[in-house]
Amino acid sequence: MKSSLILFASALLLAAGGAFAQGPAAAGPTDAQIAHIVVTANQVDIDAGKLAESKGKSKDVKAFGKQMVTDHSGVNKQAVALVKKLKVTPEDNPTSQSLKAGGEENVKKLKGLKGAEFDKAYTDHEVAYHEQVLDAIDKTLVPNAKNEELKALIVKVRPAFVAHLEHAKTIQAKLGK
Amino acid sequence: MNLVRATARLALAGACGLLCVGGGTPIESAAAAKPVAHTVVIEGLKYEPETLTVKRGETVVWVNKDPFPHTVTVKGAFDSHDIAAGKSWKFTPRKTGEYAYICTLHPNMRGTLKVE
Repeated sequence: MKSSLILFASALLLAAGGAFAQGPAAAGPTDAQIAHIVVTANQVDIDAGKLAESKGKSKDVKAFGKQMVTDHSGVNKQAVALVKKLKVTPEDNPTSQSLKAGGEENVKKLKGLKGAEFDKAYTDHEVAYHEQVLDAIDKTLVPNAKNEELKALIVKVRPAFVAHLEHAKTIQAKLGK
Repeated sequence: MNLVRATARLALAGACGLLCVGGGTPIESAAAAKPVAHTVVIEGLKYEPETLTVKRGETVVWVNKDPFPHTVTVKGAFDSHDIAAGKSWKFTPRKTGEYAYICTLHPNMRGTLKVE
């Protein structure tokens, strides 16, 4: 998990750092890349959520996993609909790639765990994941999105990531007891 | 010209006479039969308005404009259960009081319904 987080964090830092150093227009991702990042970020959490739904031990973890699948699928449905409407083809990019790699590594690790160990690892990762996505939203995605509708979608779903983060932290505290 | 207008007016009156038999005009009957309704829009994980004051027996409709489900829940009083994306839920309070509600899926979402 650690290495995937570092990979993810460094990709975000690169993106964010670039944005700050040279201005969003020069270094930030394009709308096509932002759309790809949004869809990838949601998909990564859907995959982990599905696993938690089936492998989670505690009721809280199972329910949280299920909700992640529902909420992030809903966001992606809207994102895909918007992309079609805007006639934008999502474009793969380093941030998407590291998100995907981190997600795959997390799933691989979780598949090898059981019971309370699974619950802890899944929940810890959810906390870190949502913190990092929020960071990316604030420092990279929103400042760089040029299309108003794309920006509005990201702004509108941002509170969901905040709610998920708080929810995951509550579960994390409960599991720690 | 005047004749044409008069004829048109007569024709309209005739049409209304046929359509509105026994019920006044459709607009009037709708206004009379429709109880006071209030709408709370759920969007971006917020209830808008966050606090709503209604009279007992008035209907409140919560419309979910987010792409995922929300609930309107007061433990022991009322519970919408999941309101799917794009759907709505109606509730007509019968008891006065102040109800602080949350979304059980996103518990940091809070709203208040005051029933007078």
